[in-house]
Amino acid sequence: MLDLLAQTGLNAVYAASYISLVAVGLVLIFGVMGVINFAHGELFMAGAYVVVAVYADMHMPFFLAVVVGLLFVGCLGLLMERALFRPLRDNPLGGLVASIGFLMILQALASMGFGVRMEFIPPVTQHVVWFTDTISIPLARVYVIVAAVLLLSTLWYFLKRTRFGWALRASAQDPQAAELQGISIAQTAKIAMFIGAGLAGIAGTLTAPLVSVNPHMGHSVIVTAFIVIIVGGVGSLEGAIIASVVYAFVHTFVTTFYGGVIADITGLSLMLLVLIVKPTGLFGSADRA
Amino acid sequence: MISKLMAAGLTRRTFLKSTAITAVGAALPGASLAAGEPIKIGFLAPLTGAVAAWGKPGLDGCMIWAERVNAAGGIELSDGKHPVEFVSYDNEYDPAKARTGATKLIREDGVSFIMMLGGDTWPGVQPVADKTGMLFSTLLPSDLSPESTTLLAPAEVHPIYVVTGVDYLADTYPDAKTAVICAQDDALGLPSVATYLAAFEARGIEVLEEPLLFDPATTDFAPIVTRMLSSNPDIICLDTCYSDYVHPICEQLFQQGYAGKMISATADFYDQMIAKTSKEFMEGFIFQFPDFDDPALAGDNINFEDANGFYEAYSERHPGEWGAVSWEYASIMDLWKAAAEKAGSADPDAVIAAMKEGGTGKHAFGDAVWWGTELFGIDNALVGDWPVVVIEDGKAVIKGFKSIPDWYDQHGDLLIKHMQAYDQMYDQRG
Repeated sequence: MLDLLAQTGLNAVYAASYISLVAVGLVLIFGVMGVINFAHGELFMAGAYVVVAVYADMHMPFFLAVVVGLLFVGCLGLLMERALFRPLRDNPLGGLVASIGFLMILQALASMGFGVRMEFIPPVTQHVVWFTDTISIPLARVYVIVAAVLLLSTLWYFLKRTRFGWALRASAQDPQAAELQGISIAQTAKIAMFIGAGLAGIAGTLTAPLVSVNPHMGHSVIVTAFIVIIVGGVGSLEGAIIASVVYAFVHTFVTTFYGGVIADITGLSLMLLVLIVKPTGLFGSADRA
Repeated sequence: MISKLMAAGLTRRTFLKSTAITAVGAALPGASLAAGEPIKIGFLAPLTGAVAAWGKPGLDGCMIWAERVNAAGGIELSDGKHPVEFVSYDNEYDPAKARTGATKLIREDGVSFIMMLGGDTWPGVQPVADKTGMLFSTLLPSDLSPESTTLLAPAEVHPIYVVTGVDYLADTYPDAKTAVICAQDDALGLPSVATYLAAFEARGIEVLEEPLLFDPATTDFAPIVTRMLSSNPDIICLDTCYSDYVHPICEQLFQQGYAGKMISATADFYDQMIAKTSKEFMEGFIFQFPDFDDPALAGDNINFEDANGFYEAYSERHPGEWGAVSWEYASIMDLWKAAAEKAGSADPDAVIAAMKEGGTGKHAFGDAVWWGTELFGIDNALVGDWPVVVIEDGKAVIKGFKSIPDWYDQHGDLLIKHMQAYDQMYDQRG
């Protein structure tokens, strides 16, 4: 039984890692730009397809594909900011609708470029780290965990310790006051979009060899990310990380001990419970919610 | 506009008569083919999305079938030969889109017959079938019911054929006595779960716990595999999971150190599964869908014309894309063509009558009977032998053909018991 608990715990740590990368990016974009980016799951998908193109098709090194994915999806974020969200800055509903349109465009482009079938990605490594005879974790999953810890720690440092980070947080808290202090809202929006999209992209690149890559793979990711940011508090980065861990552990343990369908119901019930008890989420503030 | 036509000599009565004839012609597809005019066949299946692997390869196979038939002169009806043409509609495995597609194929394209994957999409289409009397086919006989009189399951008897794989497993590995099953919780997964439970019970294989059902949106299968392995089974059964699930589940089984037997309805793109695990790990994997280059498909018992040549043409045109359904829709067309030629008409009623005449039919894997009254409330499934396929040295090999009706004669009560437990009998489905 202890072995089963430990193995499930390892599975949950992996799930928490990639969920938090996606959710933090989504929260960052919402916090700075005030837009709910429905295309965030498709940014995750775009990252996965970069791995298909660069690693699987062009046979370049996997970690080069990860870097290319980060930059490519980050640039997609910049494109979204410039073409969609900036013209609709005073119209959050318009931004939301535009992101849904962009979602469909990305799905269609993936279908046209790569076909509709699940893509084959050769394993990056088949090495498995064995702790005991029954407890193990594949090295490819360790990469995701390490990347999540490093990237989120770096993001925390960037936001808390650098001038750009302070500008981002100021823009998120009160855009008008930040602008009066000489902070360029357009500049901070670009940075937020690049980082937010890039985090989704890197999550997609790192998990691509572990999941089924297809044009619709972003759907389940965005649903999970929405649950997480509602539980954590819309606009709260700390909340997104903690809610990712809570959700991943609850979902993984319930899947293992009671089944996947009950796990989905439990995850949604968790969200409803938080909405009833604390409508702003665990770490959210009333003005953002 | 109408007054201009009247002025040009068209009487009101002629106008109304011609309009009525046109309307009836549109509503009764197949009844108004002109000599030499192409016979249009509707292909209403998922061409995009998670289930596309069971639609798109079938359409590709149909295109090769059409080229072969047209090169041989087409389909001969009472008024002469007609070329055949496929009209596809992507239903994205969505019932509402399937209904729209069926309506469009009938009203706008004037098809004579519509092939579907079925499953979750059939309930959306059934009202259209009832209203128009159009002949439909499904790959999933679990769609059949006494009300669906124009729906046939002439190729695949999903999920009943899986009993042949379990029989082979029990015969070959008599020491494998325990199993666990996982499946997606949908119209494909549940009847398959019930059938595997019946097949395991029939051979004295204990299923260690309730089948693990997961949401079709699942992407991370590590928790499910961890749970399956926790009971230390001799056999892992992957039910009728889509290839998007079979691949990551197998990869997880490999990574979490599983070394027992594996059985599944399908193993599409199994070469990729081997690449993600190892040849040794996949050795002995049992499933139900052969590669058509298998020498066993060149035998006299096989009714699929030049199966090996078909596979060669398919692989040349779509390298690495051969899957479970690549041949199935084409084999349905073989049956439809034979029946239409026998009836001398593409009219749905005439084709059904010709197809079911004598209660027997020529299924791709051998002569078969129209069957299913007990299980589906209607004998619209063509059932006979089905192959058991095993991966040996990295290649799918047919290990033999086993009779489904023979199994049912012995164990039908078990199948009905488990189908009822999962609300999958025709009188239980919503």
